[in-house]
Amino acid sequence: MTKREARALADKRRAKLRRRTRRIRRSVAAVTAALFATVFLVVYVQLASGHDPALSASSKARQTSASHKSSGGSSSSKSTSGETSGSSSADTGETDGKAATSSEADEESNEAASSSESSEAASSAGESSTTEPSTTESSTAESGTGESGTGESASGESSSAGSGSAGSSSSGPSSVTTSQS
Amino acid sequence: MNGGEQIERFDCFGSSCAVLVDGFDGTRSAREAVLAARRSLEGWHARFSRFQPDSELSMLNDDPRIVVPASGLLVRLAAAVRFAGELSAGLVDATLVEQIEQAGYAEDLGDTLAIGETLVLAPRRTVASASATPGWRRVAADVRAGTITRPPGVRIDSGGLAKGLFADVLAQRLAGHASFAVDCAGDVALGGVARAPRAVHVESPFDASVLHSFELRDGAVATSGITRRSWLAADGRSAHHLLDPATGAPAFTGVVQATALAPSALEAEVRAKAALLAGPRAARSWLHYGVVVVVESGAFQAFAPQPVVNFAASSEPPVASPSL
Repeated sequence: MTKREARALADKRRAKLRRRTRRIRRSVAAVTAALFATVFLVVYVQLASGHDPALSASSKARQTSASHKSSGGSSSSKSTSGETSGSSSADTGETDGKAATSSEADEESNEAASSSESSEAASSAGESSTTEPSTTESSTAESGTGESGTGESASGESSSAGSGSAGSSSSGPSSVTTSQS
Repeated sequence: MNGGEQIERFDCFGSSCAVLVDGFDGTRSAREAVLAARRSLEGWHARFSRFQPDSELSMLNDDPRIVVPASGLLVRLAAAVRFAGELSAGLVDATLVEQIEQAGYAEDLGDTLAIGETLVLAPRRTVASASATPGWRRVAADVRAGTITRPPGVRIDSGGLAKGLFADVLAQRLAGHASFAVDCAGDVALGGVARAPRAVHVESPFDASVLHSFELRDGAVATSGITRRSWLAADGRSAHHLLDPATGAPAFTGVVQATALAPSALEAEVRAKAALLAGPRAARSWLHYGVVVVVESGAFQAFAPQPVVNFAASSEPPVASPSL
């Protein structure tokens, strides 16, 4: 098989993947729209037919507060489930942002591994989930390693791969960078 | 006389190398040491290239004898092949020359595929496993006799193991200087009598930015990944140089890069490769001393060295490089 044929095959495969992504995207959009319309219709019909649950609840609440003035806020504090779930998801987001735990990393890569469908999802998630370096304690000075942190300029000397460059540094040992060979 | 840390950077092994030395070791200045180290690496590159038919390695691979006399360093490379197979339980097999040539890596790679394209065109992800008939088990090195024993046809690929080995050899030579670091195309060995901490940065496989940093006084770090040497195979799929020993095909496990810390660069190289081949779930078990695993989504996990190790003070080298 020539390189051109291989390239053609690759192009075909890529086009197939693109078509598949489009199909999945469309079906997700269609299902979401249908679900929204259904829920909207149900609520609308209920309201239009004069069975507004909010009205009946508030009238009950009004009746309750009229008879027990002191217990006023309790029912409204119970109904703040939306807020609670919002804050918990924010927590999760923070954890994601700091460092991937092993299960998270596993899950993401498993998503990528299980099927091409889920690999699309994983790769799209990956765009936003690049994590910051973990600041796990490495060891004491005795152990030979120091603690980790975000690399301040690995750059300069370590990243330039110029052929045959030489130099000297009068301060402490220069940093080194390890990368794929 | 101390002119500060001497740094020599140059292209070698199809990548970039660097030698950093500070201090006088009693016989050589830092400048002399970095130049000598560079000469050694360039010489070894010519001697151990799989792509040069007249290299020492190619001649060994073509030799019809079962027992072949070889230079000290080549014998050590053969010992390293055995060491890698044993340490990684067969995951790292440096005798898959035929398979890697079949996969399309028979000569120096020109342009490599971009990481996005590599992952999109990759086959289904599966973790790698050891071969039922491993070639590395059939390689034996006799350091004293200076011979390598293997059935003709079992060929050795210098690959990453040679880089780790060379970094260790140079580290031994430079150990008398105040501080040194040898970056042998990503396999880094460092140390020195001053035991000064040196910052080590791990490069991201996605954009060459710094992914993680830590300090090391002595020891070694190596990084293995699938994005730097990848190409388009004849079947229109992407391929790379890290093979699944069980299938002989490039291994797409979900891990795109692994960086390992170890007492020697050779061991770090083996651990990094094994972590990548083992896949996201098992990668950590290969990173006994730390450091970083990067998965396809771009997420990464950094591990602290476990347990705490004092490489310099340990009485015996833990799973040391063979006959160093």
